[in-house]
Amino acid sequence: MTVRPYIERLGARTLDGVDAGLALWGVFVGTFAGIIRGGRPKGEVVRQLYVIGNKSVVFVAVTLGFIGMVMVYQSCLQLNRVTGDLSQIGPEFLKLLVHDFAPTLTAMMLATRVGAGIAAEVGSMKVTEQIDALRMSGVRPIDYLIVPRFLATVIATVCLTVLGATVAYLMGGLTAAMSFHVNPDIFFDLSRVTPTHLFLGLSKAICYGAAIPIISGFCGLRARGSSEGVGWATTAAVIGSSFAVILIDFIISAFGLTVLGGGL
Amino acid sequence: MIEVAGVHKGFGHQPLLRGVDLQVPAGRRYGIIGPAASGKSVLLKLFCGLLPVDSGEIYIDGTDITRLREDGLMPIRNRIGMLFQNYALFDFMSVIDNVSFPLVRRGVEHDEVVERAVARLKAVGLAGSEHKMPSELSGGMKKRVGIARATIAKPEIVIYDEPTAGLDPVTTSKIYDLLLADQAETGATVVAVSSDVTALMRFTDTVAMLHEGRIRYQGPAATLRDADDAVVRQFVRGDMSGPL
Amino acid sequence: MAPVGDTSVAVGGVLSRLPLGSLAMVEKKAGPGGDERRPTPTFAYYRRGVLGERYLSSVGASAVAIAREAGGITILAGKVLRSLFPPSMDWRELVRNLHKMANRSVPIVVLTAFFTGGIMVIQSGIFVKRFNAAGLVGWASGYAVFREIGPILIALMFSGRVGANNTAELGTMTVTEQLDGLRALAIDPIRYLIVPRVVAMMVSLFALVVIGDLIALGGGLLFSKLILGVEYSTFYYSLVDNLTPGDFLHGLIKAAVFGISIALTSCYFGVSVRGGAVGVGRAVNAAVVAAAVSIMLLDFFLTYLLG
Repeated sequence: MTVRPYIERLGARTLDGVDAGLALWGVFVGTFAGIIRGGRPKGEVVRQLYVIGNKSVVFVAVTLGFIGMVMVYQSCLQLNRVTGDLSQIGPEFLKLLVHDFAPTLTAMMLATRVGAGIAAEVGSMKVTEQIDALRMSGVRPIDYLIVPRFLATVIATVCLTVLGATVAYLMGGLTAAMSFHVNPDIFFDLSRVTPTHLFLGLSKAICYGAAIPIISGFCGLRARGSSEGVGWATTAAVIGSSFAVILIDFIISAFGLTVLGGGL
Repeated sequence: MIEVAGVHKGFGHQPLLRGVDLQVPAGRRYGIIGPAASGKSVLLKLFCGLLPVDSGEIYIDGTDITRLREDGLMPIRNRIGMLFQNYALFDFMSVIDNVSFPLVRRGVEHDEVVERAVARLKAVGLAGSEHKMPSELSGGMKKRVGIARATIAKPEIVIYDEPTAGLDPVTTSKIYDLLLADQAETGATVVAVSSDVTALMRFTDTVAMLHEGRIRYQGPAATLRDADDAVVRQFVRGDMSGPL
Repeated sequence: MAPVGDTSVAVGGVLSRLPLGSLAMVEKKAGPGGDERRPTPTFAYYRRGVLGERYLSSVGASAVAIAREAGGITILAGKVLRSLFPPSMDWRELVRNLHKMANRSVPIVVLTAFFTGGIMVIQSGIFVKRFNAAGLVGWASGYAVFREIGPILIALMFSGRVGANNTAELGTMTVTEQLDGLRALAIDPIRYLIVPRVVAMMVSLFALVVIGDLIALGGGLLFSKLILGVEYSTFYYSLVDNLTPGDFLHGLIKAAVFGISIALTSCYFGVSVRGGAVGVGRAVNAAVVAAAVSIMLLDFFLTYLLG
């Protein structure tokens, strides 16, 4: 008899989850509709690009730089243990960077920064009824607020991925040269990167750039209450975006391996 | 002009409005009073279609807005101006951009927008504050910007949610004088919600009281104090003893 | 970190092109709302060629802000340490926070770790297919997960969930003056609020990394069979034969350090909030970013230190 409340709660949670999922899908579709409809303020996309892109440059460069160093260090260390041949490190590392780690790690960083930023902004507006005021003035919040951030984030993610990959590769090479005396000429070898790698990496970056603003905007629009509500929305946005990045990474990577073949 | 029939609205498992019926005649000033958290603000949002009803109908000029979706609600909202309880000013825009926003959205000519916005700000007593940001204004000033924004497009229906909450008595009088002058000039239908019963009674023709999810009284403001209903009497007179 | 998480934006509204003070709008000085409300420069500003000067001064301002925050966090760390020896904190708060942070994070960590294990397998799978080295998959995934991916990724998720939440809670308390209220009741907010949270976060992240590592390997095990066709036993033995407890410990030490870092940054930003709902949102943003950067930095140093 004591099981019933649990079942009820589980059922209610599931229904809520389905409800939220449908609403999220609604935001997704609405964003694309909004891009076509074009109800956004002039120059907003560019301004968002500045806020999202420019201001993340240092953040992405620093974090990806460190990650590059650490990854190369760990790999060299382990390879020394096993084979002692470090000549492959450079090109292999670059391949991994291009088709997986650069887009994914950049996106994880952006999910925290940009995701929290968008959710906080939109959430504050929701909580102070500015979203309602927009609707009263005949504006669709998705068109006005989310679409510019969507476009800006997609562009910024792709650009920052390229930046991140470059910085990580350079710092990795530095580490290999200084700690393991790997010849830079051997390390910096771009010949093994194929169009497939680029395709995978690019599609990941684009999908991440799309997922982050939609999920964060969605969380912001659902904020309720006051400053606590904004905090919750921000938390949910960061978690949701981060998890989406991992899930998309998994799906595209699996696709790459199984469909596009082991020629990677 | 606005007709509400049997509207129910709840949040989660909490019912709030349990069968609200009221009629707002065109061109009149209509007030809604009631205890805190009785659903007055929610009711106003239902008028604008900002929230969906659980059941019941709301007619604005004969059109049942509960059947409409976001797209269909746009033309209705074009005819309504709303002052939100917490002003809801766009904090990323200056005062004058806030006030002119409804006009810009309606595609009015740039020069005319400027003229009307500046005039409206002057009328609410905020001339000279055009380029301030909302964060730099006091509560009373923000309310006035909200009023300017709600009325600038000369809407047929104007809704004020707590136009004088938290303001001192002098400012309260000034604001009601302003609202009165506006309505006299445009002949709009005005719905105002307030916890300040006395001031509201002076401003409105008809008053309704919302209590426990239903309208307990709907009639002329003048006879409110001596209503038949004991609950209404107690609330209006502010008596300590009684059914409340 | 001052420009980070700048949620105030100034849209060039229609009327900013007005002669009636359009430039004035762009150059608007700070009002009582504080200088976080200064509008971001529009293009008109850039065209006027003061870009270089502005850039340098903003870099300088960022440096000062970062220094200020780093200093503040260190001071907070000192206060927390003082309350730990001898251990005097509110034990009930500790337990409550442990439950809130650890228990409730388990689902998301499990999910993340599971798929991360899968991703690691897929990445190693490329080598496996080329060199036909099925025996390497267990080792490669295990190595990466234990030493790097496990601690970093779980710490990032933890920071996003628990860290952000913590900052929001403390931020709301600050904004609603509850901290002052506590002091008025002669309760030390550090002892009552902050220290339990710091300890709880450190312990929680540690536990979550342990769980997460194991789940990631579980996910790896499953996906290596499903996607690569590597037998379960192959995976298992390759893992066990090639990795040492030292590798696992390497990751756990990182987890503990990350936990402390996340705890201190989130508490610091929570307690130094200014400006209402918007301020809380901004603090959460800043806290999450600071935590992420510090995780990367610490990971770098720890990797070198621990070899």
